[in-house]
Order: sequence, then structure tokens, then C-alpha cells
Amino acid sequence: MTPDPERCLTCSDDAVAARVVSVDGLEAVVAVGRDTERVGIDLVPDTRAGDVLLCHAGIALERLEEQR
Amino acid sequence: MRYVDEYRDPALARALAAEIRSLVDPGEVVRVMEVCGGHTHAIYRHGLEELLPPELELVHGPGCPVCVIPMGRVDDAIAIAETDGVTLATFGDMLRVPGGGGSLLEAKARGADVRMVYSPLDALALAAQEPDRHVCFFAIGFETTAPATAVTLLRARAGRTPNFSVFCNHVLIEPPLRAILETPGLRVDAFVGPGHVSTVIGTDAYRFIPEEYGRPVVVSAFEPVDLLQSIAMLLRQRAEGRCEVENQYTRVVRREGNRRAVAAMAETMEPRADFEWRGLGVLPASALRVRDAFAAFDAERLFTLPGARIEDPKACRCGDVLTGQIKPWECGVFGTACTPERPLGTCMVSSEGACAAFFSYGRLRRPREEAPVGG
Repeated sequence: MTPDPERCLTCSDDAVAARVVSVDGLEAVVAVGRDTERVGIDLVPDTRAGDVLLCHAGIALERLEEQR
Repeated sequence: MRYVDEYRDPALARALAAEIRSLVDPGEVVRVMEVCGGHTHAIYRHGLEELLPPELELVHGPGCPVCVIPMGRVDDAIAIAETDGVTLATFGDMLRVPGGGGSLLEAKARGADVRMVYSPLDALALAAQEPDRHVCFFAIGFETTAPATAVTLLRARAGRTPNFSVFCNHVLIEPPLRAILETPGLRVDAFVGPGHVSTVIGTDAYRFIPEEYGRPVVVSAFEPVDLLQSIAMLLRQRAEGRCEVENQYTRVVRREGNRRAVAAMAETMEPRADFEWRGLGVLPASALRVRDAFAAFDAERLFTLPGARIEDPKACRCGDVLTGQIKPWECGVFGTACTPERPLGTCMVSSEGACAAFFSYGRLRRPREEAPVGG
């Protein structure tokens, strides 16, 4: 994830909510601002396009519940 | 933007600030520790202390992973980086953390191959792209970040990437909280719990705080309204005579956390006997090491490391800042010998560090606070 420049690069406890554009195996393409990033979805199975994932250090940690 | 705008609503923030004012008595002091560096950063960035009554004091806790890494571990990382044929990859802020023998950025200037990545998966990809080099990921972070390292180790084993390793420095949130709670003369009345660590470990992980130490906890998200609501929830507990763990960050944090993430961590890593924390000393079972089953990817078994214990510079009071004993500006070198450009201590390196956050956003408040009474 490309973090907000105002925030910590290391981000122990920083994470970004991002909407899934597409899913390809264990990776999802998520929209972050005007860019897209790839994140691992190993820990959030059944991810679908349109979900909003909480992403940190290149992986999704959780799905935001309101989206389904 | 959804999930951001509604949590920055000024009217809502003012209403919560008014509620907080109504829940404290004039002249009393209620000390609330925000454990997480992300919260510290948000508090300064949004000027939340300006909205709070003087009776409510925020104490900045130890939850910045950069800030708690001891200098000796940075020197170990530099030793790995300066090994022939090795590329050391890590998060951006770690490059500037001073060890006893300089920083990784200085090692890079001397010719070491040090690269910044946003994810351990990027480091693994680097290893696949450059099979003639060994790529070591310098892993730091609490339970928020450890799952990414766990996933990377699992993928490294599945993909049989022989030229990849992890220098594991992941730390756990419970031991430093216990150390703080057992500090003699502790003056913290309540805790704002970390949001994203809790996404992984769940809110039940903090039950020991009310049950064993009699302090309430509210797990909080990171926007201004979130933090104000969490503080109001803590004060409501007090007003109603309750003392428990509550969850303000319900849009993502579950009581049990993410079990897959916890399982991935447990499969790949195990607690160390002890680990040195900056400012807190050596804490038992407070950090993770790579498990035997993943020994082929464990930098501590692949490299000979100095493993030295290095005292912090005497003038630096990061330890006192990390345990909430002093405010950043009360350190003698704050803003003079120690600045974000030339940090002496780790709290000044990461933007989540209390000193760096205060340096960047809070300095305008100091003259008013320090103005002599009646002067």
C-alpha cells in the first residue's frame, strides 16, 4: 500500500480501507485514491470485487462489514 | 470519502467534546493513555487536545513499533545488510532509526544494498526477481504487521524461495501494557486500545486490563470523531460505575479478531523467551521469533549477528516518553539536539512517535502552556 504521506510508513497500527476492483487468486487489486495496488487476501477469503478491505503492509487484514 | 468524512464531522466532534466536558469534574485530573502510535499521530494532527477540557490529560503510550526497537537490533540489521550478496529490505522509517553504529541509511550510503518496501511480500518478490542475491526482510511491528510476515513466510515455503529470509522483530502488545500497568505510581486511569492490532487479536485480548488492573479500555478507530467518542465512552463507563472492554471500532474489529491471521502467526512464529524494549527494558515473552519449521527462512539462524545490547544516549528520554512519565517537550534534547531530520531517539523518527508527532503538529501550543501565570 502506498500510505498517506502524512502518516507513518512503518505503521504498526496504521491501515488503509480500500475497495476491491478485482480478485486474482490470493491477490486483490484495490483502489487507493486514483491508484490501484495489489494486496494479499490470504487472510480474508471469499473476497469479491466491491468489498472494502482494511489493508496493511501489503495484505488485507479484514473486510469492513457494512459492505455486504 | 466513505469511512473517512463521517468521522471528521465538526458538529459531531463538538458535540462529543461537550459531552466529555460534562463527564469530568472541575479541578480533577483524568489520565487516558492512547496505546497506539497511530492514535498519537491523529491526536496531534487534528489538534484534538485543544477540544478537550484541562481535566482530561492524554498520555502517549508505547504503540509505535519503530520507537520500541532497541539500538542493538538495528546494528544486527546493519550487519546483515553489509554481508556480501545480501539485500536488506524494510519499511521506510526503519532506515533512519539510529543504531549504535549509525542507521541503515548510512549503511546504504557506505554501499550496503538496503531497500525500502511497503510489504514483506515485496521483499519476497524481490528475492524471486534476483535469485543471485539473498533478500532479508527486517520485520518489525505489532500484531497488525506480523500477519503480513506470516503470510510471506508461508508463501516463501510454498514457492520454495531459497534466497529469502526474515529478521524477525515482531512484538506483542500485551507484555508492554502489563509492564506499564505494573509501573510503580502509575497514573493512568483508562486506556484507548489500539484499533488495527485489535483487528487481528480481537477485543477479548484486553480483558486482563479491567479484570486484573481495574482500568477500562475502549478499542478505537483513528479519525477525530472516533477518538473523541472513545474518550467519551471511557468517561461514561466511569460515570456509570462500569469497568470493561468496549469496542468503538465496530466497523472492522471483532471480539475474536481475525482467527486466520492469528493462526498464520502461530504457524510461522513463536514467542521468544524475552526481548529488549526501548524504554521498558527486557520483557518476558514479549516478541516473536521464526519457528523451527521455517528455520530455512530465519535470518537469525542464517547470519552471525553482533547481538549487542546498546545503552540509549543518556540525554535521550525516549523511555520516559514511551511510558508516559514525561511529555515529549519535557526532554532536554527535544527540538534541539533531537529533531526529525537528525533524530537522537526513536520517538523522533517515526511520524507515529510521540516526539515527532508533537514536533510536527503540536509546537504552536507550547508558548501558551509555558507562559508564566500573570506574566
